Amino acid sequence: MTHIVVIDNHGQFTHLEQRALRDMGVDVELLDNDTPPEEIDADGIVLSGGPDMDDIGNCPDYLDLDVPVLGICLGMQLIADQLGGRVGGGEYGGYADVTVEILDDEDPLIGSLAPETRVWASHADEVKEVPEGFARTATSDVCGVEAMSDTERNLFGVQWHPEVAHTEEGEAVFENFLAVCDQQSAPRQ
Amino acid sequence: MVNPEEFIEEKIEEIADEVGEKNAVIGLSGGVDSSTAAALAYEAIGDQLTAVYVDTGLMRKGETDEIRETFDYMDSLRIVDAKHRFLEELEGETDPEEKRHIIGEQFIREFETVAREVDADYLVQGTIYPDRIESEGTIKSHHNVGGLPERIDFDGIVEPMRDLYKDEVREVARALDLEEIISERMPFPGPGLAVRIIGEVTEEKLEVAREANHVVEEELEEYEPWQALAAVIGKATGVKGDNRVHGWVVAVRSVESRDGMTARAQELDWDTLQRMQSRITGAHENVARVVYDVTHKPPATIEYE
Repeated sequence: MTHIVVIDNHGQFTHLEQRALRDMGVDVELLDNDTPPEEIDADGIVLSGGPDMDDIGNCPDYLDLDVPVLGICLGMQLIADQLGGRVGGGEYGGYADVTVEILDDEDPLIGSLAPETRVWASHADEVKEVPEGFARTATSDVCGVEAMSDTERNLFGVQWHPEVAHTEEGEAVFENFLAVCDQQSAPRQ
Repeated sequence: MVNPEEFIEEKIEEIADEVGEKNAVIGLSGGVDSSTAAALAYEAIGDQLTAVYVDTGLMRKGETDEIRETFDYMDSLRIVDAKHRFLEELEGETDPEEKRHIIGEQFIREFETVAREVDADYLVQGTIYPDRIESEGTIKSHHNVGGLPERIDFDGIVEPMRDLYKDEVREVARALDLEEIISERMPFPGPGLAVRIIGEVTEEKLEVAREANHVVEEELEEYEPWQALAAVIGKATGVKGDNRVHGWVVAVRSVESRDGMTARAQELDWDTLQRMQSRITGAHENVARVVYDVTHKPPATIEYE
């Protein structure tokens, strides 16, 4: 069975990420963000949202573990911040209902949601510039970078919350991420 | 999703094993979590369980009677009338966190009295999974008797639903044949109407809040809200029968949700909104206006304090 770890960056919705995966029958484990990277043995890592970029623990190290990573909200912002992109305050906070436009319908994470999808969001900051190697894969009226992907390294981020009940196609995001994880781990098994 | 039948069977066995021949207490708030935990524990250990319901005076209209009726089958049910003690403690307090704290403390005192009387060895709680997560962080403390174990040296704490989500608890409640009045019950906060009154809790505001909540629940039943409520949020000017009134402003809120983590303000039709407004302002000369809250969660929370 695919083994996914969810890293808790102290977000309100972290346990719903665990639940979404559990309900899909995935072997999922919730870990604190100060877990030493060498203790993580997983087919994929989900970096949760959270309130503070200064409280992301060992998350930067998890990006080097050579397993697919899905960053959600702050989880995406920290990927951008760590790998040479830029994060800053948005002009307009993104709360609750947002209609997101998918820019790449072949993207393994969110391409299947094209042309647009209704999501639930909760953020003041946003990614201003994606890091080298990443493509911006979704956008909205309230936030320029709603999602980004690096399909070489299998690092992904979404600014919205696929784990909450009000996001319409949240499960599909997790399913697509699982498919990426399964594909990457297949040769090892 | 959990399989309710298997879950019930497993938990009844677990509770019976753990408590053995000893005595247990549970705080019954009337909400679905504690009611379901109480029903499970009662199946397991019968009258070794004392269910304690504290009437804080902050309950909804008719709530105490409903509880008395629903849990009539438990011979050991205790209903504690503590209205005056709660209101006295709350007098003059306007800070939201302090209000919650005072209520929590008083709950513990009331509960402690009964727990000592019945010589309880175990504490049963209706803690669910999100409660544990939120209590580990700093968002809020959930259980009114959460501080009790520091006062009483229990042999153990039993939390049969600690891995469940709210919607799963409802499944279990249905499978336990708990009356619809419980299994489909709207979430109601531990501190009761106190968090639906901005500022000091007074008898006058409580009366307005209690009646307005009743009107809202009744009028919105057909919309099947996950939660619907009324809050007394301040004062404003009105004019009634040629007299200027400086009266209460009542905010109405109705949301749909799966788990309370996110919520969408419901779209209500104008006639419904007007009917609520008319019933609330008409029956209370001290209410000047009624407003409808259109904010989703986030950015707002469901409750006001």
